Amino acid sequence: MKIQNVGILPVIPLLLYCIAALADPVEKSATAAENATATGETAPAMSAETVQPQAAKPQAASADSDQPAAADNAMSVTRPPVIEEYSKKGADTCLKCHDEDSEYPVLDIFKTKHGVKADPRTPFASLQCETCHGPGVKATIFMEEAKKAGSHVGKVRPGEKRPPILNFGVKSDEPVAEQNRMCLGCHKGGQHIYWQGSVHDNGEIACANCHTIHAVQDPVLDRATQADVCYRCHQQQRAEFFKPSNHPVRFGQLKCSDCHAVHGSNTASLLVKPTLNQTCYTCHAEKRGPFLWEHAPASEDCMLCHTAHGSIHPALLKKRPPLLCQQCHSQAGHPSVARTTAGLPGGNPSGFLLAGSCTNCHSQVHGSNHPSGVKMMR
Amino acid sequence: MKHKILKLARSNTIFLLPIWISSTMVLAAENENMVVIPDNVDLSNWVCEYCTFEEGMTSEIELGLGSVSDSSFKFGEYNGLYDDGAFGIVNGSSRYRDLDGGFVDLKVRDLALDTREVDVKAGRQGSYKLFLNYDEIPHYISDGAGTPYAGNGSSVQMLQPGWVNAGTTAGMTSLTSTLHPVPLYTQRKRLSVGADVNLSSRWDTAFDVRHEVRDGTKRSAGAFFFNTAQLAESVDYVTDELNASVSYNTKNWQSSFSYYGSFFTNHDQSLTWQNAYTPVAGATTGQKALAPDNEFHQLMFATAYQLSQATNINGDIAIGRMQQNQDFLAISVNPAFNSLTLPENSADAKVDTINANLKLDTMVNEKLRLNAALGYDERDNQTPSMTFNWVTTDTFLATPRQNLPYSFITRTAKLGVDYRIIRSLKLSGGYDYQDIYRTNQEVENTTEDTYWGKLTFRHGSTTDVTFKLAHAVRDASGYNPVATVTPAENPLMRKYNMADRDRDSGSIHVGFNPAEYITVGLDAEQSYDDYTNSLIGLTASRNVAYNADISVMLSTASSVYAFVGRQEIKSDQSGSQTYSTPDWFAKNDDTIDSIGLGVKHQLIENKLGIGADYTWTRSSSEVTMNTGVQDSFPDMNTELKSLKLYGDYRLQENLTLRAAYWYERYDSSNWMLDNVNPDTIPNVISFGETSPDYNVSVLMLSANYRF
Repeated sequence: MKIQNVGILPVIPLLLYCIAALADPVEKSATAAENATATGETAPAMSAETVQPQAAKPQAASADSDQPAAADNAMSVTRPPVIEEYSKKGADTCLKCHDEDSEYPVLDIFKTKHGVKADPRTPFASLQCETCHGPGVKATIFMEEAKKAGSHVGKVRPGEKRPPILNFGVKSDEPVAEQNRMCLGCHKGGQHIYWQGSVHDNGEIACANCHTIHAVQDPVLDRATQADVCYRCHQQQRAEFFKPSNHPVRFGQLKCSDCHAVHGSNTASLLVKPTLNQTCYTCHAEKRGPFLWEHAPASEDCMLCHTAHGSIHPALLKKRPPLLCQQCHSQAGHPSVARTTAGLPGGNPSGFLLAGSCTNCHSQVHGSNHPSGVKMMR
Repeated sequence: MKHKILKLARSNTIFLLPIWISSTMVLAAENENMVVIPDNVDLSNWVCEYCTFEEGMTSEIELGLGSVSDSSFKFGEYNGLYDDGAFGIVNGSSRYRDLDGGFVDLKVRDLALDTREVDVKAGRQGSYKLFLNYDEIPHYISDGAGTPYAGNGSSVQMLQPGWVNAGTTAGMTSLTSTLHPVPLYTQRKRLSVGADVNLSSRWDTAFDVRHEVRDGTKRSAGAFFFNTAQLAESVDYVTDELNASVSYNTKNWQSSFSYYGSFFTNHDQSLTWQNAYTPVAGATTGQKALAPDNEFHQLMFATAYQLSQATNINGDIAIGRMQQNQDFLAISVNPAFNSLTLPENSADAKVDTINANLKLDTMVNEKLRLNAALGYDERDNQTPSMTFNWVTTDTFLATPRQNLPYSFITRTAKLGVDYRIIRSLKLSGGYDYQDIYRTNQEVENTTEDTYWGKLTFRHGSTTDVTFKLAHAVRDASGYNPVATVTPAENPLMRKYNMADRDRDSGSIHVGFNPAEYITVGLDAEQSYDDYTNSLIGLTASRNVAYNADISVMLSTASSVYAFVGRQEIKSDQSGSQTYSTPDWFAKNDDTIDSIGLGVKHQLIENKLGIGADYTWTRSSSEVTMNTGVQDSFPDMNTELKSLKLYGDYRLQENLTLRAAYWYERYDSSNWMLDNVNPDTIPNVISFGETSPDYNVSVLMLSANYRF
């Protein structure tokens, strides 16, 4: 019955696709913006010192950016079309202020991959700082908007706050999707294939929430420091790694991304392999088998008995034997016997309870390839 | 033999094909995956005069000495500082860049410790990258084990001359005199090499191999019926991995095709040990099989296509095979069973895997976002099922048994909806469906329906609140004990992974950034499982966790952080000693508390910096049995206190002196180990371990020189 019931489920994505194809307001609104510009609804002039007047250009990627912009302005009826222009001198405009002594130093970008001009894929082989931070000059057709989204590189009076440029991370007021659109313009392939619709995408996590771009070493890409970045949100996982039995993330021997595909995957917990067990086998290949005598839960899902991050029980077990094993084994005889404190030292010390408990005899709990190994004792 | 239900379920995978083909047939000839400079941008004045493009070589090296006050495997479990005394501090890095994109990166970490790592990357950015990595990962498991067996960690472990066999450990008069320590530890040594090559702006390829040698010993045991001894099993593994991929990326379409191979070799295929007890039925020696050599091969295709600015579809399919065909050991090393024959010389074990997924994400309009996903995971065990004559623990001939190759199919379907009520408020909801088909087990099919809702409030970059609730119901198709499994399971047992279950879970997360210099996080989550029709087995479980943290940049020179957390894990289970209705009940209550504090401060700007980190973690595990009489075990406790103090003093521009002091205290109690000597249990020669305690301080002094 259930099989037949689920038979209709495959049509759901097709239906969604149809809905999406019929109603694609993003492209429509992008077209509207382009039309508005084409009809001459352009912006007032900006600071002549920094603006290229001839380069007055509708937002080059307005279609791309409309998605977050729409979300940003979801409740407004209309929004003035944004005119964006690139600065006159490119990165030199920025670096005059953002040197090592500034509040926001950026020169370390030249010690990163983004700052390699010889690589035609990088920002500095293209529009330099403004490749990511957008055109440095912004203007709108309304003055009040110009004040809000005005020229970051224009002149400001003493005490006056400089209009922001597109910036990233927790300090940014830009919609997350707008920030990420800049990154995804280049970083689409490889591990980013699964980004769109992933847990972190749906959770509106900005790329810059995790990545530090203007740093020689991005902490999230370093095995020793990556976990601290993840702990900013995943607090419970930090506590897990302090438990007595743990995977050695706390010691910098493993990093979160050894197991988790943080940019998205199709497994439940963003795992790097198609299934949980396949992920575990990358380090524990001896437990892969296939064994002649399999222990069914071990073949099905390692997490039925173990936890991944940390446990107060040995070997990252969820609980200790014999009770762990007695959750599934209650045959007549020794598996079903209640093991009480009578079996502790001082009473009648019991091999069913102490030392390795069940594993004192059944030591092959992950499976056995011995002809006589059906009881996991050989 | 294939199971009828598995076949039926597998046949439904065909539903994926038309969608799959339609998504992969769409080839988009879009622009290259790089930024396009608009035609009307005048770059004639973009001279990048202030751009400090990196050129040349820079290096740094850190040399120093450290000292560990006491030996403890638990302290050094993963950091390599398990032994008291001095150790060297050797770290370093070197980087070279030229203006043509050429680069070399060398990093050396912990060169003088068992955690050493050497990492080299070189190439030309945008063209190719070569890399080599050597890494060691220790795992010091226990330094408190003792055994009378010689040859620990080898494939043959015999008792020392003069051993006195006895029916129980109390009668083994030479046990004490022959006891000797046996360290339990493993050490992984990994060497990886590989290359990434950008074939063109659209085509990339990558290749890497990893060779891992894992040596050491691990805790094991060898039984003769109800008499047994803990043994130090040899770990002598080699695992080779190979990854190769080619990917094609355009603006709207990204795909990759890859191969993954994993080859496991165990240099010890068996463990043979002498019976320390009075042999029964001629069982003077036992032999067990160790992990067999095995292989896994997997081909994977993954793709994503952006149908429009609002709609993305991605999917993947992976087809793999696990296999092992290690020669069987003898049915028994007991000569009394030499006449028994095997049905085959090896298992010829094969498991075919298929993993396929398809996902659609679309912004229907400015407020509404939908996503849907389908998943299919199959583990098709094609290992021949044969009937084996077998001998229990090299002692008694048992009733022949048939091996049961387990197969699984898991299918999932998910539908999620996000609706943005206002800019700062988003309501989400969804439905997840999962069914699992199993062969040769008590339940053929479980289905689970999960309904969830989530409310997200995000006010700019200052406030982020997420509240989520979920309710799931899992139903089993029927519970039928497997006839060929003997002795028969209690018919009232419901194995928890296949039992009817109601699961309710909820979580709330609050992120608060009132200013750029302060971050506050609050997190609470709870999950409750009710196994609604389980009389015997796990009947209920609950997991509750609370966490809070705060970090503050007090000034450009100072920062502090703190975190606190509590987790409670509780479960109820029941059993029957009379092969009928429940007559005993057990409760597990685990509680974990943790606190962390830290501070960093620049005492003298760019000259002297200091810092401290303190962590305290305490856990307790309570087990209470009820057999008509309440019976509480002693608590199993652990407590970890860790303090790290560190300081950097810049002696000159390129020379920094570093000092660090690390103190840790660990106390634990565990009734499974404490006061259990090798001869405490009459029928178990145990390792006689005690739960670890340590009190270790480490002092480190080093100098870092940049050049």
